[in-house]
Amino acid sequence: MEAYLLNLGVLISLYAILAVTLNFIMGYAGIYSLAHAVFFGTGAYAGASVALNFSASIFVMVPTAMLCAAALSLLLALPALRVRGEYFVAASLGLQVLAVTVFAEWKAVTGGIGGLIGIPPVDIAGFEIYSPGSFFILSLVTLAAVVAITRLLVRSSFGRSLKAIRDSESAALAFGKNIALIKTTSVVISAALAAIAGSLYAAYMSFINVESFMLDTSVLIMAMVIIGGTGTQLGPIVGAALLLILPGALSYLSFLPQTEIGSIQQILYGLGMAVLMIFRPGGIVGRGRAETGEGEA
Amino acid sequence: MLWLQLAITGLQVGALYALTAVGFSLIFGCTRIFHFAHGATFVLAAYVFYYVESQGYGTAAGVLAASVAAVGFGVLMDRLVYAPIQRHEGSFFTVFVASFGIGIAVQNLVGMVFGRSFVTVTTPLSRSVEVLDGVYVSPLAWIAVACAGVFFLGLWFFLRRTNLGTGLRALADNPELIRVFGLSPRLLSTYAFALGSFLVVPAAVITGATAGLNPALGHHVMLISLAATIVGGIGSIGGALVAGFGLGLAESLALLQFDSQWTEAVTFAILFLFILLRPSGLFGRAATS
Amino acid sequence: MTMNGARNAGETLLEIRHLEKRFGGVKAVADVTMDLRAGIVTTLVGPNGAGKTTLFNLITGHLPRSGGSVRWLGRDIGGLKPYQIARLGIARTFQDLRLFSEMTVEENILTVMEPNALPFRLSGPPLKERRARAGHVLERTGLADKRAVRAMDLAYAERKFLSLARIMATDARLWLLDEPASGLDPHSYELFLALLREEVSAGVTVCIIEHNLDIVIGISDRIAFLDHGRLLADDDPKTVLEDPALAAIYFGDRS
Repeated sequence: MEAYLLNLGVLISLYAILAVTLNFIMGYAGIYSLAHAVFFGTGAYAGASVALNFSASIFVMVPTAMLCAAALSLLLALPALRVRGEYFVAASLGLQVLAVTVFAEWKAVTGGIGGLIGIPPVDIAGFEIYSPGSFFILSLVTLAAVVAITRLLVRSSFGRSLKAIRDSESAALAFGKNIALIKTTSVVISAALAAIAGSLYAAYMSFINVESFMLDTSVLIMAMVIIGGTGTQLGPIVGAALLLILPGALSYLSFLPQTEIGSIQQILYGLGMAVLMIFRPGGIVGRGRAETGEGEA
Repeated sequence: MLWLQLAITGLQVGALYALTAVGFSLIFGCTRIFHFAHGATFVLAAYVFYYVESQGYGTAAGVLAASVAAVGFGVLMDRLVYAPIQRHEGSFFTVFVASFGIGIAVQNLVGMVFGRSFVTVTTPLSRSVEVLDGVYVSPLAWIAVACAGVFFLGLWFFLRRTNLGTGLRALADNPELIRVFGLSPRLLSTYAFALGSFLVVPAAVITGATAGLNPALGHHVMLISLAATIVGGIGSIGGALVAGFGLGLAESLALLQFDSQWTEAVTFAILFLFILLRPSGLFGRAATS
Repeated sequence: MTMNGARNAGETLLEIRHLEKRFGGVKAVADVTMDLRAGIVTTLVGPNGAGKTTLFNLITGHLPRSGGSVRWLGRDIGGLKPYQIARLGIARTFQDLRLFSEMTVEENILTVMEPNALPFRLSGPPLKERRARAGHVLERTGLADKRAVRAMDLAYAERKFLSLARIMATDARLWLLDEPASGLDPHSYELFLALLREEVSAGVTVCIIEHNLDIVIGISDRIAFLDHGRLLADDDPKTVLEDPALAAIYFGDRS
């Protein structure tokens, strides 16, 4: 039972990092990405490759993972964010679909469908973190750091620029904001921070393959943000915990067909998202967002 | 003759893409609603046809049932999901998330009811005939292209020559104007959903008999619809049509060079190139904000 | 016509030449040529739909022009993006305000002093100075005790003053104000006029769209009259207001 709870704790912390970083662009910059699992995966594969071939030190693995994800996100965001919001949704969906193929086919780096096995545990200044308890602490500390960074950013001039753009693009332009550049920067930061979760995930599982980084994962992360509360500090963490506890909780309900738990979970959060949008667009934690009544030119 | 074979397959696939994409483009262009659950409409129609057909009720009954399912789903989405959202806010975000959530729920419901593995509708029409030396074409290919032609001519006639069609086109340009003329934008919106959803029926039915079905197909359908809408130019129905055919051809002809698992990468590459070089699309008005 | 002639026109800030904007077949702005000179308050008047806001949108780059040119201090700014034009020193308000509605009043002011796209500061004053300046501006606009309130929760007049405060916090030399005083009660309206006069004597150049004739008379050095996108007059207030042909167009539309 303790092992089960620790494992759940690690997964909640890592997914909370993903949810917090996705919320950073969704909630504060108004950018909707269906490719967050791609940056999670890029971080995982990059971190695992470094750990397998070079060094399992956290100070080598994590920065490499962050750089790779940041570079990839720059390639996506630079052109796609020049145009309307729908374009980024389309481009990110396309990237997600393409990335699954690349993860499954690029055998030299990703190990193909079989994935990468025997990834060594992460090493912090000579100490290997492999017991579930110590890894849980590491993932909690990392989550706290990521939350602190995004909180700092949101309250800085950069965060004010993001919120200004979200509230009124035309007014932000009229006050000298380079919208495309600011949005691109936010996407790159978000992807780099998501890659931290990816590299830790690889070290924790010691095995990764494409299954963990498919569209379903991107959808799950987005559901965590939305159900928890977009644009709130606590919401994404609550959402991550809720959606990861849900399958376990569902399996206690013996009248449900146990083989369909995954589907039932997805139906629940799919409907949950729709119902929330109709009745409470701010999410569980968020206050109800009121209409601003501003037309954009 | 491989290229000719691939080009014909490409036309067949392209016709189905074009039908689906035009449905999405029509809804998005007229109502500005980002109907991400359009993929779910496709999956629903395809599986309803598959079920009715496999129970032995015949093709006509299957098509009818699929049409009812598609149109019903589209109209219900408009009435029960989008209408209430638009009453209190209606931002891109809320509409997209609600639509997206319903799409996920439908995909999993279909998966629970019909299973997650591939299913195919068997019909003698999918059996290929050698038309030229080494070039095989199934009657379904011709049916697909013919369907596309008939539907687009019908749509064109409808939008240009009927009052309702004129109303729909005006809705795209200026919803305020609609009110001035005493028409209801909400009612027109429902018509746009009914029509746009109906357009996926031939594509869904034929896909069931050619490529086969699985519940996760909805995302692929959405990617194609979005790509065709952007490549064709947002708001241009003709653009979505041309782009749908173009994407089908490109995916098929890419097989001359690449393995089949890379076909979606081709779609992405084309979409990305357009976003990079020509964001307003083939026939679109300027898209930059 | 209290202040007419009291100010001397300085250098030409903005040169508008044969500016044109077509929407489909309709010319929203047709062959407009005018200058905005330093220290001068120009009021744009004309019936609704005359193209006044469109003219602002063309100057600030929010709309691409169909023809003609706009020069800022002699430099053609036609191809620049709105944020680049803003950084040259042209600031504007919007008729529907477009406040950053989910941000606090103070954040609304701070953010216009922070055009940087990076998460750290490369140039510009430090936060302490920006805060002080924001505080000063909020003091003058009567919003000091509302600094922590979200913009969307303000009363109507307060929202109008926040829109003005936002532009006051910039270093812009030219202000384009789109109906900034419409709907204000008499008290707020006096405060608004006083603020505007202070800013003008401190060296700001203003171009203002206004329907209220009291404001037009109370503050204008020049009046530019637009109708159907054409500039019918651009002269001192007395001449324009006493032209019976213009009065017929103006009041004919509004009756």
